[in-house]
Amino acid sequence: MTATAARPAAVPLGPPPSMVVKKFVSRVLFYVVIALLLVFFMLPMLWIVLAPFDASPSLTIKLPDFSTGNFSELWHNPYALRSLLNALIISLGTMALVLVFGALASYALSRVRVPGRDALLYALLLLSSIVSGTAAMVPIFLLMTNVHLIDSQLGVVLVMTGGLLPAAIFILKDFMDATPRSYEESAKVFGASPLQILRHVVIPIARPGLATIAVWALVNAWGNFLVPFILLRSADKYPAAVVMYTFYTEGGQPKLGLISAFSLMYSIPVVIAYLVVSRRYGFRFHGGIKS
Amino acid sequence: MARIILDTLSKQYPNGVLAVDALDLTIADGEFFALLGPSGCGKTTLLRTVAGLENATGGRLLSDDRDVTHLPPGKRDIAMVFQDYALFPHMDVADNIAYPLRIRGEHRTQRRAKALETGTGLGLENLMDRRPGQLSGGQQQRVALARAMACQPSVFLFDEPLSNLDARLRLEARTFLKKLQKDLGVTTIFVTHDQAEALAMADRMAVMELGKIRQVGTPAEVFHRPANTFVANFIGSAPMNLLAGETADDGLRIGGFTVPFPHDSPRLPPGTPVTLGARPEYVDVVGTSTPGAMAGTVTIVEYLGATALVSVQIGDERVPDGADPVLGLTVQAMVAEGTEPQIGARIGVTHQPNRSLLYAADTGDLVSGTGSGTGSGTGSGIPGSTAATVSTTP
Repeated sequence: MTATAARPAAVPLGPPPSMVVKKFVSRVLFYVVIALLLVFFMLPMLWIVLAPFDASPSLTIKLPDFSTGNFSELWHNPYALRSLLNALIISLGTMALVLVFGALASYALSRVRVPGRDALLYALLLLSSIVSGTAAMVPIFLLMTNVHLIDSQLGVVLVMTGGLLPAAIFILKDFMDATPRSYEESAKVFGASPLQILRHVVIPIARPGLATIAVWALVNAWGNFLVPFILLRSADKYPAAVVMYTFYTEGGQPKLGLISAFSLMYSIPVVIAYLVVSRRYGFRFHGGIKS
Repeated sequence: MARIILDTLSKQYPNGVLAVDALDLTIADGEFFALLGPSGCGKTTLLRTVAGLENATGGRLLSDDRDVTHLPPGKRDIAMVFQDYALFPHMDVADNIAYPLRIRGEHRTQRRAKALETGTGLGLENLMDRRPGQLSGGQQQRVALARAMACQPSVFLFDEPLSNLDARLRLEARTFLKKLQKDLGVTTIFVTHDQAEALAMADRMAVMELGKIRQVGTPAEVFHRPANTFVANFIGSAPMNLLAGETADDGLRIGGFTVPFPHDSPRLPPGTPVTLGARPEYVDVVGTSTPGAMAGTVTIVEYLGATALVSVQIGDERVPDGADPVLGLTVQAMVAEGTEPQIGARIGVTHQPNRSLLYAADTGDLVSGTGSGTGSGTGSGIPGSTAATVSTTP
């Protein structure tokens, strides 16, 4: 009572006007910056959906002079469709290997106490960026030559699997760690063999993690240019990323119509894969089941 | 249906911790047996060793006359219910219950039928299509039990079967489990840290401490005659009063007071350090000047419903013989509702000599009724000199 009575009656409510203005201006500036950034990142995407349908595409974004000529030209290109199939083979192969080896290795690493396990994992993770990176390309090329895997899609798959596995194991181990051991022990008491435990219990529970890794491996292999470019020799084995690099005129000018149409077709599978997994599993990176 | 025999069974972890220390124990066929102890006493390790999830590092484990010490878990004819129930979250109730049958390679339709049959027995028939995440704790427990029953094992192992349930459900589940076990007649070993659970459910129980069994017996035996001060302190809803003192000719000297010997005490030489054990339920509140009473001040009164637990700080300026009162000596007494004294009141407390026990001060082992000491008859040994001070009623 005394406190309210003592308060001066003329105190205005809320902050003073100068602060309101300041807040308003900083808000406006914030949204302007956001809008500019958005436009900056939107431009290439807009180009990729508009340019393929333009009769004479350029590097500017404009409403297309509608035509499907670019796609029919793509259809008649001897390497374009073939390369999409190649890319699919290479990326599905890589995905399968990463999943199988990643699941087995991460399960083992999660369950068995190995001295220096975490150090090993971190070292692998660090080195993996080198393995499939530019720095190691010469030794990898020599290695692949010696094991006769040059100009072979299997070689490309193996090299990319090697590059992706450490990170995959690292992420999957997290999922495996989050699976309570009592699930496995329960199955074990009922007489399940280790492989049955993995098949019936561990893999179904780690499925969101496996799906995440599957899409991640697929996208990485799908978009990789350097490894297939260096390890493959024959044009009919090139994946899409490499074939796109050949879409030039004799004069060295990029064939923008072909490139844009091909880019669109090249990006669709990745978007679909993302949407499917995102819808089913919501892309959680920590998706273990709470006990 | 099997008899389980532990023959100097040991489990030592690689880091040197001896979790199970050369235990000998026989669990009879069809018995409901409790392993009780504080956390870290090795009871869960023992259960997991029986299950085969841990390898015994010494001794033998027999199921009937079959040596199962080194068999894998699946070959031991056991079923285990885990503390968190370990229901597979990606399978529905029917598939969960039928999982042991799936491992045995039974056909899917046959599995589902058997799962429904087992589930119906436990009131789960309407839940067969649900996932474990959609069930309440009690339902999950019943699914876990059904899964254990589905493989018709000869031994059940329950690891803390009630600890994941809320308090009210726990009481229901206790009755339910006991009845189920009696109906099935399957040898069952369960682990618990809750002495009330062990007393209520078990036919017999083992109290463990630091990898060793401190006492084996029926709940009544363990409650009435704890074999040592550890068990005495662990069993009972309020811990037993354990009062340090020493023997004299005319009774026990405790905190400057002289109280009567417990009835079946052996005759000990005067001056022997001993511990008097008296349950709060068997301690009476009397007047301060009652013979054989310890006088003190009421410090805490805990209301428990029909009863109240009264803590009395022993100590009095009017100590007989002018001896110094022992500070910090507290006796707890259980009194009926409505008769509890006020905090700060001066009262006396007496133990009931026919229901209190005497322990050796150094080893903590029970000496009452053991016939050791200087030859008083077992059971009847009220030393003549203390007869006059025996006074259980005010």
